[in-house]
Amino acid sequence: MIEKGLKIFLCVMFLCCVLAVGAASGEDDEDYPQEPIIFTKPVKAVVFDHKLHVEENGLDCDSCHDDPFEMAAGTAEENKDFNMKALYEGKYCGQCHDGDSAFASNTRCTLCHIGVKGYNRMTGVKPKGHGHE
Amino acid sequence: MKVNRSDKPNFVTDEERREFLKLGLKITGVLAGGSILSLVPLPEDEANALVELEGYEKTPYKPHYVMVIRQNHCVDCEKCKEACKKTNHVPDYGYRTTILEKMAEDDEGKKFSIFMPVLCNHCLNPPCVRVCPTKATTKDPKTGIVVMHYHKCIGCKTCMAACPYNARYFNEEKRAIDKCNFCWDTRLSKGEKLTACSAACPAHVRVFGDFSDKNSEVWKLVHQPDKAVWVLRPETGAKPCIFYMND
Repeated sequence: MIEKGLKIFLCVMFLCCVLAVGAASGEDDEDYPQEPIIFTKPVKAVVFDHKLHVEENGLDCDSCHDDPFEMAAGTAEENKDFNMKALYEGKYCGQCHDGDSAFASNTRCTLCHIGVKGYNRMTGVKPKGHGHE
Repeated sequence: MKVNRSDKPNFVTDEERREFLKLGLKITGVLAGGSILSLVPLPEDEANALVELEGYEKTPYKPHYVMVIRQNHCVDCEKCKEACKKTNHVPDYGYRTTILEKMAEDDEGKKFSIFMPVLCNHCLNPPCVRVCPTKATTKDPKTGIVVMHYHKCIGCKTCMAACPYNARYFNEEKRAIDKCNFCWDTRLSKGEKLTACSAACPAHVRVFGDFSDKNSEVWKLVHQPDKAVWVLRPETGAKPCIFYMND
């Protein structure tokens, strides 16, 4: 019985270690989501690619985390003011996308707005209905 | 920051504009490989060059319902499509309006989509009306809306073949062709000022209004001297009443 308890204890410790290492590497500067983040609120859909912003534009984690974005995808999306008006006022993406640091939020709409069609392409959803799309 | 052509709301370069005007004097201008006619509104004294637009301004319709589509503002959120489906009970296998997509590249080689909302063009010379053997589709003499009379439709689909805009589908439940009627029965006749799609659009892409009223937003949008306005498939002579622009 004691032996069994010890085994369980060791297993739990091992798992904790694995999780701790995993979490630590998660904070590594070069570690960021490889897949694009897709926002679906308030409209479907807007794409944000970490790869593009980090590798091509040289941003690091501090540039956007935790201000204006918390490090959990979908957090900003829950806010009522997560919309274009807020961006024009310099919030969220608008902090950089102001026409100075990066292209202004009221230009090049469909570079980020991929639409329902873009969303379906990225998530593998087949559009229902007529077969013309 | 480097100026990107797609930052400019009006995508037409001076060179292209010159081409429009040159051709415009011969009735039409052609943009994007000939599929599109530009109706560049010239100042009033030169307006006689615009044979095409003139036709639109002398119609018997009052109100003359048209739609101006500010194409570069469309992000394919498809709220218009959802609203249309809900308002007009459009089944999944058909559509009264939809969004087409074309891929393009900006000056930096980045790919982006051009989204193009399409719907019935409520043409001044509607080919569908001409070919219908039972007069089940007509152009409303008051508003210019191309309407369906479902009880007269025999489902021969000749109108579907005749429509240059693929704006018609066969509705299994109605056993008749169905199409956009600018929400006449569901909204306009009940006092609403906008179609469901226009009211649902968050980016003011679908501007709906009365073209016979010179104070209307649609009239003003089309009559800006420095903006290119085009219609789809002008070569059919149907004189469509859905105008497109980048604004």
